[in-house]
Amino acid sequence: MHRLWNRVDFAFGSAWQNFWRNAAVSIASVLIVWVVLLALGSLLLVLHSLDRIVALEKTKASAISVYLADTTPLSSAMDFKLHLEADPRVSNVTYVSKDQAMARFRDLPALDPSVIDTLGTNPLPASLDVTVKDIRDLGAIDQEVRNSPLVDKSPATNYEPNVIDKIILLARVAGIAGLALIVGLTGLSVFIIMLTIRTAIYLRRKEIEVMKLVGATDWYLRVVLAAMLAFGLLLGSVGSYLGVRRFLKQ
Amino acid sequence: MAALTPDAPQISLRGVSKTYPNGTVALREVTLEIPKQDFVFLVGPSGAGKSTLVRLLIREEKATSGIIRVEGQDLSRLKRRHLPFLRRKIGMVFQDFKLLPNLSVFQNVAFALRVTEGALRHLKPKVEEVLSIVGLEGKEDKFPDELSGGEQQRVAIARALVHDPRIFLADEPTGNLDPATSWEIIQLLLQINARGTTVLMATHNREIVDVMRRRVVAIEGGQIVRDEDAGGYHAPALESR
Ligand SMILES: Nc1ncnc2c1ncn2[C@@H]1O[C@H](COP(=O)(O)OP(=O)(O)OP(=O)(O)O)[C@@H](O)[C@H]1O
Ligand SMILES: [Mg+2]
Repeated sequence: MHRLWNRVDFAFGSAWQNFWRNAAVSIASVLIVWVVLLALGSLLLVLHSLDRIVALEKTKASAISVYLADTTPLSSAMDFKLHLEADPRVSNVTYVSKDQAMARFRDLPALDPSVIDTLGTNPLPASLDVTVKDIRDLGAIDQEVRNSPLVDKSPATNYEPNVIDKIILLARVAGIAGLALIVGLTGLSVFIIMLTIRTAIYLRRKEIEVMKLVGATDWYLRVVLAAMLAFGLLLGSVGSYLGVRRFLKQ
Repeated sequence: MAALTPDAPQISLRGVSKTYPNGTVALREVTLEIPKQDFVFLVGPSGAGKSTLVRLLIREEKATSGIIRVEGQDLSRLKRRHLPFLRRKIGMVFQDFKLLPNLSVFQNVAFALRVTEGALRHLKPKVEEVLSIVGLEGKEDKFPDELSGGEQQRVAIARALVHDPRIFLADEPTGNLDPATSWEIIQLLLQINARGTTVLMATHNREIVDVMRRRVVAIEGGQIVRDEDAGGYHAPALESR
């Protein structure tokens, strides 16, 4: 047991001594690792929120309202609803009656309710709100429902291909750019950490040579070097953790 | 691993040659035997191959050909992972000391003991013991650049002693020292030898070799040109001239 403790004690004692002796280099490498970890951490945070925004937009955009002609009887509307629900691309269909549409309309902010009362009759159509599983199927569904005689013609749906295309493109670009950045920054961190290790070994080459000449085993040298590096990285990580926390609080 | 038979020499070289990667031939067909508890001076002009021979014995360098045995172990066959244990049996004082400038005297000596993963509680008394043997009490906290050449030499000797080595190799331990200090170092090596340790000392110090009348091995141009018990720095024929 004392042997193990001796190893640990010496490794850390030595790491500590070396840290202060080569303070400039140690601090520089710790700072570099700190900065890279901080950059990686904040990038992951940004990507995560971007991902959530895109996902939210996608679910919002992957629904269309199919407007029904005022002449469509409720039973036909329900049949049509069942027909749509049977489609494997569709995840959900909700029937919105004329009254519900009006209620929704009234709830829209920045709208004076008195304007609606002057209309007298309810001009809003009933609709089937169709949500698809994959936003890219929305166009095809839109085409199909337009042909149905039950559907109003002015307009038939609220489908807006330009918006959908833009969202699909945004999601794709954000995904690719995020992935590229993560790969790039991870590569950079690995490179810098390896460079730090090599610098540490280079700076201590004389010490390592003498250790070997007086009978240190390779295993022992590895423990000592690992401890020195672990110590440096630990400081770097604590630093970046504190940095990220401050960054999040702002 | 071959067992050491009682009469087998502790160190033996048979037909050992060393050519450095740059093509320099430092040793040619050297054959030499050193029994236990021997005290040997290795003499020869600069560049003769003294340091090379000593470096081969701790396998800091590998022989190009020939067989070197230390305590019965064939060094060319010694596995890398067994090498540290060979080195712990040998105390080595390097020509350039190889002290670590950023460690204190105490730490420089303790360092050699720590790498052997011994019990920590024995460390301090042991380091203090060897420092007092070399007469460095009170200088434990000094750094190498605060010491004289002779004091640095003593730190190097203390570090080599801290393992209680069975073989003590000293490469020019009196180089750059004044005669009085040189004699103190020699007294030290004699003490070490008297405790049962084999001593091999490479030196240019003619006066010491001549006064001591111990075994002298002379090399020139990488070859052994003389090997006598109770010899002088130069061959008798040369001295009488
Ligand atoms: N690492 C090396 N690479 C190439 N050649 C070397 C190396 N070390 C020593 N030599 C050469 O090998 C020969 C023997 O060198 P060595 O250091 O053994 O001599 P020495 O007898 O110890 O000399 P000195 O008394 O000056 O210390 C010299 O010609 C030297 O230049
Ligand atoms: Mg030499």
